[in-house]
This record gives sequence, C-alpha cells and structure tokens, in this order.
Amino acid sequence: MSYQEKKTITSLVSGLVLMVAYAVNAWLRYRAGTAPAADLTLWAGLMLRYIGLGIIVTILVQILFHILLSVGVAVKAKIRDADCDDKGIERSIKQEMVEDERDKLIQLKSLRSGFIMAGMGFFFALISLLLGHPPVVMLNIMFFSFYAGSLLEGLAQLYYYRKGL
Amino acid sequence: MQGKLRVRNNIRKLRFFAGEMTQQELAEKAGVSRQTIIAMEADKYSPSLELAFRIALAFGVSITEVFECETTGANT
Repeated sequence: MSYQEKKTITSLVSGLVLMVAYAVNAWLRYRAGTAPAADLTLWAGLMLRYIGLGIIVTILVQILFHILLSVGVAVKAKIRDADCDDKGIERSIKQEMVEDERDKLIQLKSLRSGFIMAGMGFFFALISLLLGHPPVVMLNIMFFSFYAGSLLEGLAQLYYYRKGL
Repeated sequence: MQGKLRVRNNIRKLRFFAGEMTQQELAEKAGVSRQTIIAMEADKYSPSLELAFRIALAFGVSITEVFECETTGANT
C-alpha cells in the first residue's frame, strides 16, 4: 500500500469518526430536548464546534501518521542496510512521501466526486424545506452532505489508486 | 470520426536493458513515486509530456523508443 493510500485511509477514518460523533451527539441532545429544532443558533454553534474539532483532529492525526510512517521507513531502511546513515534514512523517507502529477490528478478527480455529493446535499436540503421540514433538518442535511462529500472524495481516491485513472 | 488512441510503453523492457534498473531507481531519476512507475508499466496511467520526456532522458533514449501509440477503430 502506497503512502498516498495510507494517508487517505487515515483521513477517511478520522472523518468517519467525527461524523459519527456529531450524529450521536446531535441525536442525544435532540432526544433529551436540550437542542430544540427551532433553536438554530444552538445548532450552528454545535456544528461550528465540530468543524473546529475536525480541523484539530485532522492536523493531530496527520502529524501522528507522518511520525509513525517515518519511524516505519527508518526501521525498514536499517533492516535493509545496517550501515545506512541518517542521510540515507532521510532520503528513504523523502522517497516514500513523494507527491507527483498522478497524485495531483487523482486528487482533482476525486475532489469532483466530493463536490457532486455536497451539491446533491444542498439540493436535498432545499427539497426538505419544500416538503415542510423545519430548517434544522435542512441545516443537518447540508452539514452531513459536506462530511459525506469528503468521505466520498477519499473513497474515490482509493478507487483511482487501485484501479488506475 | 477519430479512432481511439492507446498509448503503450516499453518501460519494463528498457529497465531490463538498463542493467535491470529498479522501479525505485527510475522513479528517483524521473522525480515521481514508484507507484506511478508501476501504474505506467501496467498501462493504468498515461504520463504528461514532461514526465514522458523525463523518463526518456532517464534511459538516454528518444521519447518514441519509450512510448508508442496504437489506434483502434477506423479514422474517417
């Protein structure tokens, strides 16, 4: 499995965990009555908190992932060649984490899938308003569609890495 | 109507004739990841013109010796 695939899986897992955490938190608050459907300010605050948390978690997970990957590459380099010096290890790490034109093309193509999902979410959010659901439903559909878009983007990346462009 | 164009490459053969150059060595010379070389050898990725030239330079041959194209379907 390549560096890019591992990185994508890490992002996918952290994104999925955050999405489930938000869903559970929102559902529990709604059921307990502490987050009434009419109180949009409270829902906006909750979503903003999760967006902030998402950014922090993503940064931390990526730092941890890169540290672990670097350690793994260094160990492999040492096993391959016991006389490998620090410069050799540094070179191996750089080679492992190289990003080229194919990676950028895959990112662009999968970003399109993510945008389609987010766009569909916006469309369905408007439909929900037309059907008479409260605005909080619209807000949540949009929020989930952004999360789902980012997950679909990751899945599309994995697909393109495996099946080719 | 234009026929379908398929770009094929001789990277595997050229690596063999270059003293069994490894995919990693070629990747380093061309400035790409090993996965990109693997994808190209498996005909799963057609490189940009710039990368195609860099691969040809890595082998010290002309671009037409590395890449060739074949058309399927009639050109009308």
